[in-house]
Amino acid sequence: MRANYRTNSGVRFQMLSEDQLEELHSGALHVLENVGLEVKHEKAREILEENGAWVDGEMVRLPSHMVKDALAKAPRSFTIYARDGNPEHDIHIGPGRAHFGPGPTCPNFIDVETFERRPYVRADSSTAAKVVDSLPNIDFCESLGSISDVPYDLSALYEFVDMFRNTTKPIVAWSFDYYDSNAIHKVAVAEAGGQEAFELRPNYVHYCEPLSPLISTTDALNKLVFAAEKRIPLIFTPCPLAGGTAPITAAGIIIQSAAESWMGLTIAQLIQPGLPFFMGGVLSVMDMSDMILSYGAPELPLMMAGHTELAHYAGLPLWQTGGCTDSKTFDEQAISEGSLSVYFSALTGGDLCHDVGYTESAMTGSVFQLTAMDEAIGYSRRITRGIEVNEDTLAVDAIHRVGPNGHYLKDEHTLRYYKSEYWLPNLCDRQSYETWELMGKKSFKDRTIARVQDILATHAPVPLSDKTEEVIEQVLADAEEWVKEKE
Amino acid sequence: MSEKIFEKLSTAVLEGDSGTSVETTQKGLDEGLSAGDILHSGLIVGMNEVGVRFKRGDMFVPEVLMSAEAMSEGMKLLRPLLAKSGVKMAGKIVMGTVKGDLHDIGKNLVSMMCEGAGFEIVNIGFDAAPEKFIEAIKEHQPNIVGMSAMLTTTMRAMGHTIKAIEEAGLRDTVDVMVGGAPVDQEFADRIGADGYGANAPASADLAKELVGIA
Repeated sequence: MRANYRTNSGVRFQMLSEDQLEELHSGALHVLENVGLEVKHEKAREILEENGAWVDGEMVRLPSHMVKDALAKAPRSFTIYARDGNPEHDIHIGPGRAHFGPGPTCPNFIDVETFERRPYVRADSSTAAKVVDSLPNIDFCESLGSISDVPYDLSALYEFVDMFRNTTKPIVAWSFDYYDSNAIHKVAVAEAGGQEAFELRPNYVHYCEPLSPLISTTDALNKLVFAAEKRIPLIFTPCPLAGGTAPITAAGIIIQSAAESWMGLTIAQLIQPGLPFFMGGVLSVMDMSDMILSYGAPELPLMMAGHTELAHYAGLPLWQTGGCTDSKTFDEQAISEGSLSVYFSALTGGDLCHDVGYTESAMTGSVFQLTAMDEAIGYSRRITRGIEVNEDTLAVDAIHRVGPNGHYLKDEHTLRYYKSEYWLPNLCDRQSYETWELMGKKSFKDRTIARVQDILATHAPVPLSDKTEEVIEQVLADAEEWVKEKE
Repeated sequence: MSEKIFEKLSTAVLEGDSGTSVETTQKGLDEGLSAGDILHSGLIVGMNEVGVRFKRGDMFVPEVLMSAEAMSEGMKLLRPLLAKSGVKMAGKIVMGTVKGDLHDIGKNLVSMMCEGAGFEIVNIGFDAAPEKFIEAIKEHQPNIVGMSAMLTTTMRAMGHTIKAIEEAGLRDTVDVMVGGAPVDQEFADRIGADGYGANAPASADLAKELVGIA
């Protein structure tokens, strides 16, 4: 036993002081209380008004106590479960735990055979999910694109089904509106073993996106209300552009995004107190020459770090962003922008870090970028795991045993630790020049491509139960029918 | 004397100085300069330089928008006179964000840039149904229809709108240009648009190309 002894089990990273965080927190509350948001959803406005909000037409202002109540109700720690019960694929949300996964809805995909950019098609969802399932540092699944070759209104549903079949890791599901949200939920619940079982062990997270500046859209709130009623863990994440649809300063975009996300939080917690909720916001700059939202700018990880610290200060987990790039091709820019942002994201402990594998500023998904980032995340995680200091790791006994001019290679201390103390690279090369030459002088890029091809050729994900497959068949048949009637 | 006024005008546009732009335009008119000369030798000279500097990376979007505003403020004084004297105007654009999409800002930036390029803009707002586009075409008889969509979930509505314009028998009367974050040339081609603008300044260039004054 040691008294008055303090340990830091990982790398300490804190950017903003308590005072600054309190200021950001108050800033977000001020925006909600004094500016307000347009809430384009009648039921949501009614619920808010009944509980003390000031409603004027579509404009809704929230007294701070309502938001504070909602913050107090939302849990900081909870678990999203692997659909097959594999505990290694569970995601435990809580302080100091960073998780990573791809992003949704890119219109294009880098073809895994031709390496060409082309529209995203149905088979790509299975490809992305299989790669996610096998990469050790990718924890949750999104598909890196929107399917272009199925009925448009069903693209999110087909995407979910194909991801669900090809990975047991928890999925973050987006959808258009009520119909497909419900269809997706039916499939997930079938595998979980019913609604009650799902509520105890949720196997996916629902994703909604309000509009910046300061609008809670009808679609986003339809989805939010659905998720809250069904107790599906929820992400409510705006996508503001600093200097365009949000203030240009980091502090300004952070408080606006927090206000946008906390409007969703407040509605969700009124409908379903205690609903697991991820504060969101993809925060980056609008490039003032090309007018794109930059996914490779240093301001993205910087603003996201500030946003993460505010979320944690407020007691919420955050929907982080990293591993993405503005580069059009799998090159040095893609790797360096992606690696730096995942490292920074890992340092913040931002809870679910998405968009890993985005290229071309979110226009094109790439499993090659995703796989390269798996390596960068492994590398980052070894650093953030930090240095453990105790009697055994101090290794005084081992130093005694080996003494001057000995070696540690066969010492029991080395044998005990070498696998856990070291991070073993999968793609980074440490061979001698001669061996490297003998192996065909492969670059990092070559090795990444080979790894993706190997995964796709050999990886066999755990299948869904037969019962779930039956439900899927029915859900898809009904959906096709629904679309026909609709058109 | 007129040279001095033209220079002052182009500088006001270049510097995004709306006050000086309006003041100098009025002064030029008071001194008997023609609206056409003030436009072509003053305002447009400034705006052309803005385009050059923007493409070179010496000017950024916020400055370009200030310049576009200075230009269109001056234009407000000239427009009625130009119409009377029959000077060739850049043309008219009906501009809207398509159905289901509430994103207003990108489309407004494009509108400002096109105004800066001398176009008259009829802004039909956001979440605009195909019928609203058709009505506006009938009423305003524009040269160009500009459509914007910000989301992958709403971009297909641009295709629906083009189809509806076709069915209304108006497709041959207008050029259609499209833009928005998820839109690219390939998509524009697929839905049968006449052009795609990657950003606001590029869209203004495109509009000029479409009416043949680039």
